[in-house]
Amino acid sequence: MVTDLVIGMAGAGGDGVVSAGESLIGAGAAQGYHGIMTKSFGSQILGGESSCRVRLSVATVPNPGGPLDLAVAFNWDDFLRFGAELPVDGRSVVIYDSGSGVSPERLPIVGLSPRQALAAPIADLSRASAGSERSKNAVVLGFLSTWLGLDKEAMLGGLRKRLSKKGPEVFEAGRRAFEAGVQFAERNPLARDLRLEAPGGPPGTLWLADGNEMCAAAAILAGCRFFSGYPITPSTEIMQFLSRELWKYDGAVLQAEDEIAGIGAALGASFAGRKALTATSGPGMSLMAEVLGLATVAELPVVVVNVQRGGPSTGIPTKAEQSDLFQACFSAHGDVVRPVLAPTRVSDTLPVTIEAFNIAERYQTPVVLLSDQELAQRKETLEPVDPGLFKVEERRRPTPTELQDYRRFRATEDGISPISHPGLPRGNYLAAGIEHNEHGDPTASGLVHARMNEKRIHKLEPLKRRRGLFRTLGDPEAPLALLSWGSCAGICEEALQKAHTEGLCVKLLVPRLLYPVAEDVYRDFLRGAQAGLVVEQSHQGQLFRLLRMFVDLPAGITSFARSGAHPIQPAEVVAGLREAALALQRVHALTLQPQE
Amino acid sequence: MRHATDYKSELKPIWCPGCGDFGVVQAFYRALCAVGRPAHEIAFVSGIGCSSRIPGYTSAYGFNSVHGRALPIAQGIKLANPELQVLVAGGDGDGFSIGGGHLPHAIRRNIDLTYVVMDNQVYGLTKGQLSPTSPLGRKTPTSTYGSLEEPVNPLLYVLAYGCGFVAQGTPADMAGLSALIEEAIRYPGFAFVNVQSPCISFGDPELQLRAHKSRMRPLAALAHDPAQRLPAMALAQDYGRELHTGVFYRNPEPPPTLETRVRERQRELAPGALPPERILQLFGGR
Repeated sequence: MVTDLVIGMAGAGGDGVVSAGESLIGAGAAQGYHGIMTKSFGSQILGGESSCRVRLSVATVPNPGGPLDLAVAFNWDDFLRFGAELPVDGRSVVIYDSGSGVSPERLPIVGLSPRQALAAPIADLSRASAGSERSKNAVVLGFLSTWLGLDKEAMLGGLRKRLSKKGPEVFEAGRRAFEAGVQFAERNPLARDLRLEAPGGPPGTLWLADGNEMCAAAAILAGCRFFSGYPITPSTEIMQFLSRELWKYDGAVLQAEDEIAGIGAALGASFAGRKALTATSGPGMSLMAEVLGLATVAELPVVVVNVQRGGPSTGIPTKAEQSDLFQACFSAHGDVVRPVLAPTRVSDTLPVTIEAFNIAERYQTPVVLLSDQELAQRKETLEPVDPGLFKVEERRRPTPTELQDYRRFRATEDGISPISHPGLPRGNYLAAGIEHNEHGDPTASGLVHARMNEKRIHKLEPLKRRRGLFRTLGDPEAPLALLSWGSCAGICEEALQKAHTEGLCVKLLVPRLLYPVAEDVYRDFLRGAQAGLVVEQSHQGQLFRLLRMFVDLPAGITSFARSGAHPIQPAEVVAGLREAALALQRVHALTLQPQE
Repeated sequence: MRHATDYKSELKPIWCPGCGDFGVVQAFYRALCAVGRPAHEIAFVSGIGCSSRIPGYTSAYGFNSVHGRALPIAQGIKLANPELQVLVAGGDGDGFSIGGGHLPHAIRRNIDLTYVVMDNQVYGLTKGQLSPTSPLGRKTPTSTYGSLEEPVNPLLYVLAYGCGFVAQGTPADMAGLSALIEEAIRYPGFAFVNVQSPCISFGDPELQLRAHKSRMRPLAALAHDPAQRLPAMALAQDYGRELHTGVFYRNPEPPPTLETRVRERQRELAPGALPPERILQLFGGR
C-alpha cells in the first residue's frame, strides 16, 4: 500500500479525461484524502488533447508531484504530446488502450521501461457495457476505484453529479461502464500495490477548490463589490465565478470591451468608493499599463490579478509560466512602485487575495496579484477555513474636522492621506493623472513633483516589514538556501524535505510580497548562506534578477530557472542543491590546501 | 437657491483667450444649476486634451484621467454608485480617435451618463495636428500637404449605435447650449452632446464663434421631430457642411438603464445582500 500517489491521464477532447480526474479527486476528498489535480490542454477549442494529473495522499501535499505512479493513455499520440508534463519512470504502471495495437514490450516512450505496462480494452469495455465509446472515462474510473482502493460509492457520486444533468439513462450507461472497469481491474491486479492507506482525517470534511474560484471568493470576502474585465485564458474563471455570485452580495460585474476599459471601470468604481477588481493574463496586463500608472498617481486602490501564462505575446495561453514578474513590477512610465503579491497554492490564494485588497485600500495603491495557470486551474483539497480569521481593512476616510479644509493629497507622516468619494459633502476634489498639489490642483512644479513621488513611494515602506508575507522553512543557520515563489514554492517545499533526508542543510524562503523588495528580509534570511538556488519558471530567472537589483546576494546563490510548460520537479531541485553543496566542499578543500 | 457660480471652482482655465471651451464650461454651470444637484453628488470625468481640463474648473468631484479612457471610468463610477450624477467630457481626439472603441459600448450599455464632446476638428493641446474630425484636405503639421482621410461623423456614428439622446450645440448660442446640456443630463440614459467649440489658435479662422452665430441652423426651425431616428440620421449627414443645433434624437420611450437592470438582477438573485462569509460555503461538502 502507498501513502502518496500520482495518477496522470491523457486523451483526446471527447475522452473525458479531465472530468475523470475531477471525479477522482472529488471521491478522494470525500473520503478524506488530500490531493491536487492539475489539467493541461492543447490550444484547440474543442477536441484537442487534454490531460490531468491527480495526486492523492494521506497528508497535505505541497505540489502536483513528480513522475507518475500510474499513467493512463487513452491514446498514445495525445499522451506523448504532454511529454515532460506526464513523466513516466521505472516505478510507473502504464495503462493504455489495447485497441491501439501497441505491444507492452514496445511502448512509444523510447528509452524507458516502466514497472508494468498493461494493455486494457478500455474502448471495448465501454462499447460492450454502455453501447458507445463515450463511457471510456467511466471504465477507467472503475479501474482506479479497484486499483487504488477508493470507495465505489464516492467514485459513482462524482459520475452521478456530472452525468445526471444529461439524463438518467446517460448516468446509467456510465454506471455500467464503471462496473465493467471494476470487474476488469479485479481480474487484473497490478504488479505494484497502489492501494492508498487510510486517510489521516475524517471523511467529508475537506474542501475542494481551484485557484481562480478561490481568488474570486476571497475577493468577495475582502469586500470587493465591483468587477470588470475582459475574458482571457487562463484567468476567465475568475470573471465567470463572479458573474454567477457577485450580484448576490450587492455587487456588479461588467464585461468590458477590452482590458483597458476593464481596469478603467474598476478604477472608476474605486473612485466612487467601492472595492474593485479586474483579472487578466499577460496580454491584457500589457494593455492595462497606462491605467495602472493612473491608479498610482491618483492614489486609488484597485486589485489586478494576472494569471500568468507562457509569453511573450500570445505565447502559450494554456500553460503556466512565471515570466510576468518584471511586467508586474516595472510596467509603467515614471517613478512607480506598486505592490506585487503572489500566492503559492490554492489555500494560500484566500489570505493573499484578501491581503491584496487590504494593502490596496490601506495604502491607496493598485496591487498586482500574480497567479499562474497551474495554480489557478488546479483543484486542491483544503482544510475548512474560518472566515472570521481574516481582517478586512477599509480605506482611511476623512474625519469631519479634516473635511473642514479637505486636502485629498495632504502630506501626512505615513504618506497616506484621507480619501473621500463622490457623494461625500465637502470632500470634493479632482482626481488626476496629471501631477498635482495637496489639493489635487494640477501643477508643473518640480518641487511638488518630487515631494509627491516621495509620498507615493515612501508610503509603501511599511510593507517591507510585514514578515507575515514571507514564509521560511528549515534551519535558519543552514548554509544552503532555496528561494522560490508562486506555484514553484510547493516544489521547493518538497525538495527541502527530500534534501533533509539526504542530509543536506537547506533553508527555504518564499516571499508572497515580491515588490517592493523587502531588502532586510532577504538579508536576514541569507545571513550565513553560502550557496543556493532561486527556483522559478521563467527563462531569464526574473526573481533572481530582481533580487540582484536590491540585495547583495552571496556569490554562491545562483538561478535555477527555465521557461514554462515544463514544470520543475522536486528531484531536479535536490540535484541542484547537491551540486551546490559539492561545490562548497571543493572551495573548502581549496582553502585548506596551503596548510598542508 | 443655487447659483451657477456654485459650480465654478477656483482654478483658472489654461485655455487660450477666445477658446470656445470657455462658453462650454459656462453652459455647464448653468445646466448644473438648473438641474440643481449639489456639487458633491456630481462626478465629472474627462480624458486628456484642452477640453478635458473642464472637470477641474467645476466644483464637482472631478476625474481628469488618461487619454481616451473617460467613458470606461465614468461607467465604473455610475455602476458603483447609481445615485451620482455622472458627466463625461472631452475632445474629438479623446472621444473619436484614441477612445473611439469605448463609445459604441457605452451607448449599447445605456448607463445614465451625459457625454459632452468639445469638437474643434483639431488637436489643440499638442499645437495643431490633424484630428479624427478634421476635414479632407486640411493642412496641419502632421498633414503637411493636406489630409488624405475622410473625417469621422460623430453624430451619425452615435445615432447608428442606437444612442437614446443626440444633440449638437455651440457656445455661440449660450442659452441653447445650456438648455441642451440640461436636457441631456435629465435624459434617463446615455446622452450625447456634440459641441462645435472652435479652437482660436489652431482651428479654421473662418469657423470661429462669430461665424457660428450666422451659420447655425436650429433644428427646431426645420420642423424636425426629434422622436424620429431616421430623419435625425438624414440631418446628421450634413455634419461638416451645416451647423445644425438642437436635439437630433430623443428616444420617446427610454429603455431601462443598465444600473436599473443591475439592481433588478441583484434583487432577483438575493432579496437582501448575502453575508460575505457565505461565499466559502461553495467549497465545502461537495
